[in-house]
Amino acid sequence: MAVKVLTIDDDPDILIALTLILESQGYEVITARDGLEGLGRVKLDVPNLIILDLMMPRMDGFAVCKELQKPEWVKYQHIPKLILTSIREDASRRRYELETGVTLEADSYIEKPIHPDVLLENVAKLLKGK
Amino acid sequence: MKIYLYTNVFIDLIMLIVLIHFTGGIENPFIFLLTLHVILAGIGLSHKTTYFIATVALLLVGIMVALECTGLIPHINLEGFISPDQYKQTNYIIAILVALAVLLYSGAYLTTAISGELRKRQRQVVTLTQQILAEKEAELDVSAREIDKLEEEKKRFLSFLGMAAHDLKAPLAAIQGFLWLILTGYTGKITDKQRDMLDRSSRRINDLVNLISDLLDIPRIEAGQLVQEMKEISLGELVKHCADDFSTVAKEKGLDLNVEVPENIRKIKGSDVRLRQVITNLLSNALNYTLWGSVTIRLTETESEQRVEVMDTGIGIPPQELPRLFNDFFRGSNVSVKGTGLGLAISKRIIEAHGGKIWVESPCPETNKGSKFTFTIPSKSR
Repeated sequence: MAVKVLTIDDDPDILIALTLILESQGYEVITARDGLEGLGRVKLDVPNLIILDLMMPRMDGFAVCKELQKPEWVKYQHIPKLILTSIREDASRRRYELETGVTLEADSYIEKPIHPDVLLENVAKLLKGK
Repeated sequence: MKIYLYTNVFIDLIMLIVLIHFTGGIENPFIFLLTLHVILAGIGLSHKTTYFIATVALLLVGIMVALECTGLIPHINLEGFISPDQYKQTNYIIAILVALAVLLYSGAYLTTAISGELRKRQRQVVTLTQQILAEKEAELDVSAREIDKLEEEKKRFLSFLGMAAHDLKAPLAAIQGFLWLILTGYTGKITDKQRDMLDRSSRRINDLVNLISDLLDIPRIEAGQLVQEMKEISLGELVKHCADDFSTVAKEKGLDLNVEVPENIRKIKGSDVRLRQVITNLLSNALNYTLWGSVTIRLTETESEQRVEVMDTGIGIPPQELPRLFNDFFRGSNVSVKGTGLGLAISKRIIEAHGGKIWVESPCPETNKGSKFTFTIPSKSR
């Protein structure tokens, strides 16, 4: 069975790039355009990995992470997350740590622009660490 | 309280009159001591009371003289000092009584006038102080409101910068992502010419992202955003990590990269990310502008501060350019490496936001070659 990766980003171009890279390695890619749609997809498809952008309209990545920490999402809390941060925007990383109380490990975030090799390496590491 | 005061004054007066009576009555020159009572009353009591006491004193003296003259009480003569019957001479009595009256009333007038003026002044001072206090309070109120407004504006400004940074970088990130996809062959084979141009495009995008980041960093640091990012960090670890990141570059260029970090360095309060930015900037400059020799990064600690020195054996900096080195967009005349000209300017702002200092020496005083950049961070930085 193919490994399912849910990618949540409001930028369609990023989604296209992510899909192209991940599908080339045989991953099954599901996409969502904002946090709300993403959470729906989590319930519906139960992915093996979530790739999550932080700055999004409607419901941003911070809100998704906080929502997933709630008890009703306990079934989905084991799913590893790969956070996408904008390049040299350390403020957003700091905000993530402040809002969720979770330290972002080097493996669990990548800076945009996304380099294919870095993405695949981090995805593989997160899936293995599960 | 008032009754006590009046009784006190009257007993005092009567005692003095009795004393005067037994020491010669009207013959006693100390009779004028009664003026002292009036002066004291004038200082401490009201206008009316002062004149009342002066009158009472005069009356009491009058009564004493009358009693002595009529023989109702005996007269005691100051023997050998004043003739025995002088106390009965009308002229003498009148003269003494008039002199006493003049003294008592002028004393009363002078002291009440002076103390009245003093009291008026005092009241004026009190009103003035209250007025000034009220004005200052109003001013403080206005300032407090202004500070609130400024804080609000700062918040809006920072959020605007955040949005601007995101919106400016998002399209570039998408473009760069696609370029890398093409360059890494995910979209099929490309010719060498295409690769070369895509490579150049990718580098230009990278420069642009760096410039945008730098430009937006400056107002953020100046707005004091750094303070929010500060926590307990180890400068020693930071220096080692940054040096590690550059070890490959140094090796490729054939340069020695020396790292001197003592054990057990105390932690400081600072922004991990921003100090990393400074150290990275200094190391990157040192390696860029050094063709052969070595780059040394050294951390030392004193009671009050920690000091990071980055020394190189590179091209150095012309003396006339040293004062402008930390200015925005300044680029050295002898450098060919690309940059935004903002790196050192931002580093200076970051260090100063930590309460530290940054400076440069060229040539490096220890090796007499290249240059040496030093920055300090206070140990008890808040």
